[in-house]
Amino acid sequence: MAVTPTAALVQTLNGIQFGFILFMIASGLTVILGILDVLNLAHGELFSIGAYTAIGVFGFIIGVVGPPGGGIVGTAVFLFAVIAAVLITAAILLPVGTVLEAVFLRQIYDRDQVYQLVLTFALLLILLDVKKFIWGDSSLRTDAVYSAINTIPTSELVGLNYPTYNVFVILVGMASVVGLFWFFERTKTGRIIRATAIDREMATAIGVSTDRVFTLVFALGAFLAGFAGAMAVPPTAATLEMGTNPLVLSFVVIVIGGLGSLRGAFVGALLVGVIRSWMITLYPPGEIAAPFAIMALILLVKPEGLFGTWGETA
Amino acid sequence: MPRRTDRDGTPAYRFLGVEVTRREAVFLLVGVVVLFIVPDLTTVSDSLQLSVIHQGLLFGFAAVGLNLLLRHTKLTSFGHAAFFGTGAYATAVLARYAGVQSVGLLLLGAIAAATVMAAIIGVLSLRHTGLYFALLTLAFGQLLYAIALGQSALGGSDGLPIRPGPANQPLLFGTAFSPDVYQVLTYYLTVVVILIGLFVMYRITQSPFRNALDAIGQERTRARFIGLPVRRYVWVAFVISGIYGGVAGGLFAVVRQYIRPEETLFFLRSGDILFMAILGGFRTLVGPLLGGVVLVFLQDVGQDVTQYYDFLTGVILLILVYGFPRGIVGSLQSGGIVNTRLGELRREPSVLSTWGQTAVETTERKLAESMTSLRIILFGAD
Repeated sequence: MAVTPTAALVQTLNGIQFGFILFMIASGLTVILGILDVLNLAHGELFSIGAYTAIGVFGFIIGVVGPPGGGIVGTAVFLFAVIAAVLITAAILLPVGTVLEAVFLRQIYDRDQVYQLVLTFALLLILLDVKKFIWGDSSLRTDAVYSAINTIPTSELVGLNYPTYNVFVILVGMASVVGLFWFFERTKTGRIIRATAIDREMATAIGVSTDRVFTLVFALGAFLAGFAGAMAVPPTAATLEMGTNPLVLSFVVIVIGGLGSLRGAFVGALLVGVIRSWMITLYPPGEIAAPFAIMALILLVKPEGLFGTWGETA
Repeated sequence: MPRRTDRDGTPAYRFLGVEVTRREAVFLLVGVVVLFIVPDLTTVSDSLQLSVIHQGLLFGFAAVGLNLLLRHTKLTSFGHAAFFGTGAYATAVLARYAGVQSVGLLLLGAIAAATVMAAIIGVLSLRHTGLYFALLTLAFGQLLYAIALGQSALGGSDGLPIRPGPANQPLLFGTAFSPDVYQVLTYYLTVVVILIGLFVMYRITQSPFRNALDAIGQERTRARFIGLPVRRYVWVAFVISGIYGGVAGGLFAVVRQYIRPEETLFFLRSGDILFMAILGGFRTLVGPLLGGVVLVFLQDVGQDVTQYYDFLTGVILLILVYGFPRGIVGSLQSGGIVNTRLGELRREPSVLSTWGQTAVETTERKLAESMTSLRIILFGAD
């Protein structure tokens, strides 16, 4: 099948866009894994709760701000409103993460790992039906944000027909990657979290409350998942089972990048995103299988993942 | 013939290498009888359905296999649906493309396919332990799911029928039966297979091999130091547990005569299998089997009662994790939590109010703790 350069570029951009969404989910999962030593199976549900919540928040914000007005100012106001809505959605997920960690997870850190899996799986099932209870069985969508942002010309300026919303996602994704690395490298809280990841006992000895760090890390993971959900929902729809696929792909990303490595999660997410997107044009049935094939390959060549343990090297 | 022996002062009987006390013998006999009269019991009440119990037993049988890993090597496999699905799909492919009609041959095919699959996945994933192992098995399971979904030869999301030959069904003893008789006969076949499987598992847990696995589960490095070939032993255990999954999957295909990727290979089925083992009690032999029947039955009843049956399952798992970590069978055994609590209650009924008080206090404390954490997150300090 002949693939034109333009089509290849569009698919690559699509892949990068999906990769950024995936990174936001996988980064939370990998940080939780690196520090709490818990594989949070309910993470995909947090992502999908973010998507559902975002639809409501988007509706509210657009009701307040109105459709993008003419000129640069109107557009800028609208873009800021959308970013604000995404951040509000993510902030709503903070207390959800806090409650989940403090009420449920905290009791079982010293138990067998299998109980942690059962617990997070139980939370997955419960959250699944909580969503069904709140938002109903049918899928929800919000077209206003997607179509409004797409009226802003970006790729048309260089003669390419590519939705502006995807460009927007890539830009916001880049900003969030920079922000996340800055948080862990430069801020005091970030350093404390890394210190806890490297050596929990030593961190306790110098006065770090591991309980708080654990809660904070889980809430941060929920925040990132909610952020990803809000960014991912405008072009598609929020459905009950939307959390499963990103969750499983995040596992792949984590294994490729190395357990608990933020940098690894970034590389892995882009890799999975782009290859998956290429497969859609090259060999459609391979779309679902390709990420797992890459994962198996990486495991054969470099069993510990592309990047080592997170913490010392971030 | 049974031979009389002695175990810790209580008289016991030994037969085919199985040693039971009189009490255990009674339980065993009742269990076997119950298994065999299930088809008659289900005619009594509409809420009991043979197909539901049958499905529970099959998934429970896969959980018995998974339990070998979980109980002794402390490895949590989150991808056991891979073997269940491999068995089911091997059966379907043999029936559809090779025209195999005999149930025995179909099951042999399922066993062979599951063995090969477990051998391959085992080599790749057993380099790791703990969460990494769980993740890897899960990912391989999803890979197989993706393959089944993507290949039109495997039926895609529609799945495959198992209706070979002119009789349009697999043949038991070379004969075609009417659907009702076929259902009951395959149920008896399942019971026989399960009894054999449990017996084999019992023998494994009485063998030095089990002790080696226990040693590996407790401390790998030490196990290697005393000369155990750790990797190979764990791999063998993994393959055995995979075979149990394959047999269960093959039987599932033969019974259902139609399989779809969703109900055989999806990662939620792996979760189900794991939780059946925990629910029934993963420190026991028959626990996973019972867990399978109970979980499938609850999900079936739940589907009729409420549309929120996932919530119901989730709450049951929560109660299990916090209250009864040893599972149903483990909690009912002597020394289990139920017996201990009942004993306390019988001696001193007023203990009930103390329990209530503790429960209220714990809930209050946890709530206060989580509010503090929330305040710290939102305002940065307390």
